Amino acid sequence: MRRGPAAARAQRNADLRFYALTLLGLVLFPIAIHPIGGYPGLATQILLVGIASIGFNILLGYAGLLSYGQAMFYGVGSYVALLCVSRFFPQHPNFWVAVVLAVAFVTVMALLIGMLVVRLYGIYFALLTLAFAQMFFFIVFKWRDMTQGDDGLQGITAPPLALGFATIDLTQAFPAVNLGPFGDLSDVHYWYVFAALVTFAVLVFTRILVRSQFGEVLAAIRENEERSTFVGFDPMRYKLAAFVIAGALCGLSGALRGLYETSTAPDALTVETSGNFVIFTIVGGVKTLLGPLIGTGFIMYLQNVISAKTDAWRLIEGVLFVAIVVFLPGGILGSFRRKAPRALLANAVRVTPPPGEPSASDAQSAPHELPR
Amino acid sequence: MSSLASAPLLETKGLGKRFGNFAANSGIDFSVRDGELRAVIGPNGAGKTTFFNILSGVALASEGDIFFQGSRITQVAGPRRVALGIAKAFQTANIYPDESVFQNCRLAALARSQGSFALEIFRGSQRLAEVDAAAEDALELVDLASLADARAGDLSHGDKKRLDIALALATKPRIVLLDEPVAGMAIEEVRKTDRLIRGLAKRMTVLIIEHDMDLVMGISDSITVLHQGKILAEGTPAEIRANARVQEAYLGGHAEGHV
Repeated sequence: MRRGPAAARAQRNADLRFYALTLLGLVLFPIAIHPIGGYPGLATQILLVGIASIGFNILLGYAGLLSYGQAMFYGVGSYVALLCVSRFFPQHPNFWVAVVLAVAFVTVMALLIGMLVVRLYGIYFALLTLAFAQMFFFIVFKWRDMTQGDDGLQGITAPPLALGFATIDLTQAFPAVNLGPFGDLSDVHYWYVFAALVTFAVLVFTRILVRSQFGEVLAAIRENEERSTFVGFDPMRYKLAAFVIAGALCGLSGALRGLYETSTAPDALTVETSGNFVIFTIVGGVKTLLGPLIGTGFIMYLQNVISAKTDAWRLIEGVLFVAIVVFLPGGILGSFRRKAPRALLANAVRVTPPPGEPSASDAQSAPHELPR
Repeated sequence: MSSLASAPLLETKGLGKRFGNFAANSGIDFSVRDGELRAVIGPNGAGKTTFFNILSGVALASEGDIFFQGSRITQVAGPRRVALGIAKAFQTANIYPDESVFQNCRLAALARSQGSFALEIFRGSQRLAEVDAAAEDALELVDLASLADARAGDLSHGDKKRLDIALALATKPRIVLLDEPVAGMAIEEVRKTDRLIRGLAKRMTVLIIEHDMDLVMGISDSITVLHQGKILAEGTPAEIRANARVQEAYLGGHAEGHV
């Protein structure tokens, strides 16, 4: 579709609306969660883990690759960040150094693993990523000298956040202000603000990426890989780039979560953790920007709040997952968003066949019209 | 250019493709001049599609070599061959069904403009004016400009096949490989595509596989006949029509087409 200045203006307004509403949501989130049984610390955890889901969606939603091994990037990110503080630079621990080294390490890891796996399709890709994640789990579990094995790394206080002009202790709380049913402002720590800023930056990055030339080609490859190859794109390099970006965001998520919790354990690298990212993203809405974050919040909220009330929370989580996949195939966000553009495409743009010619929608186009 | 006009644009030497013990192509010495319109014909199972696949890089040759503008490209992968100027339209229209007709061509033009990979994660492709221009040119060539905003999956069979050709053209090729461009088309659409191919031949080298003998005899400068994976005959349409071995191949148990 050709773009005119009017379309560009509409796009800019949509961008501004999206950013404003997202910021508003992030500001209200830690106190809005209070009346429904949550707490600001949970809000922080949700955002930090949500960063990995947003990244994973670039892979699953936009590149169409189902990785079942994201936990290796998440887990290794948390270990590297904490080891930077406790072991590599114990004299001069630095928050940024820990995060940057963790993300750099995971990025290289994703590049090397990606070069081996992106040639595979579907179940083979999923299984190979799973196998790699199991290897990393094993390494972390057995390399006791470095990782303390089963016990994990415990009690590693994150260094304060050095900003050049100021040094901020992220564990510090806001001053006490009674917010009635929304709890007290002093329940919110600076960590939340930091997590919200990073999450916002990741959302902006992802939105730009999806709309970029790179995102356009990635979507084209997803829609028709063979044709993309024979107009001259190299699908493998695009998939590899998506794999690395998703891996790096997963590593960032793990590093921040580790620093926030002051601990990590081999749990972070289990199949269950990998599966969580898949569930978060699908529940929230594949191929939507905020969906993975909402899915992460929804499930983590259930895990935390319902598990305090009943032992059967796993059962409830499972039933909900099945219900969403069956009844809301686009996920929470995707299902009420998707209808509009689809209907537009189907009606406004459909071509009526010229008289005397066979029907425009011949048998060949039928499979492509199924919802993806 | 004129001194090179007779030099082959695309050439193969001893080209072969095996699938296990079966030789789909063997010992093919083939060459096309710049600007030529060449048809490759043969009974079903003669190895025409395999030959096109090896030329376009869908599959790699098992033996022999391919030269394009004098350089060896035998092992060059598909996307890189497009960048060199070898484009392919598919036997079954191969397009982006959910995109608009225009966006289909834009993607092909974008591939030509940016190359096989570009890590442009912060900027959209709208800034590239040459991409829009190339897409518009390609649509004009196949006479689909009036349907530019239509969803590609909603086009008629003939329009889809012409859009597939437009995707090849939007990559600005030196040579375009058309695999059965009129298969399954109604008479009127065949005439339209016939005109299209004649128009293309004035701008670039065209290589087609086709079963429609009226079309092939009418438009080709020269014809290569494949039979059982090997070249059986080569010549002008008149020579091929008069060739006894070609008639034998077509009639002797493989009465698929008629010459």
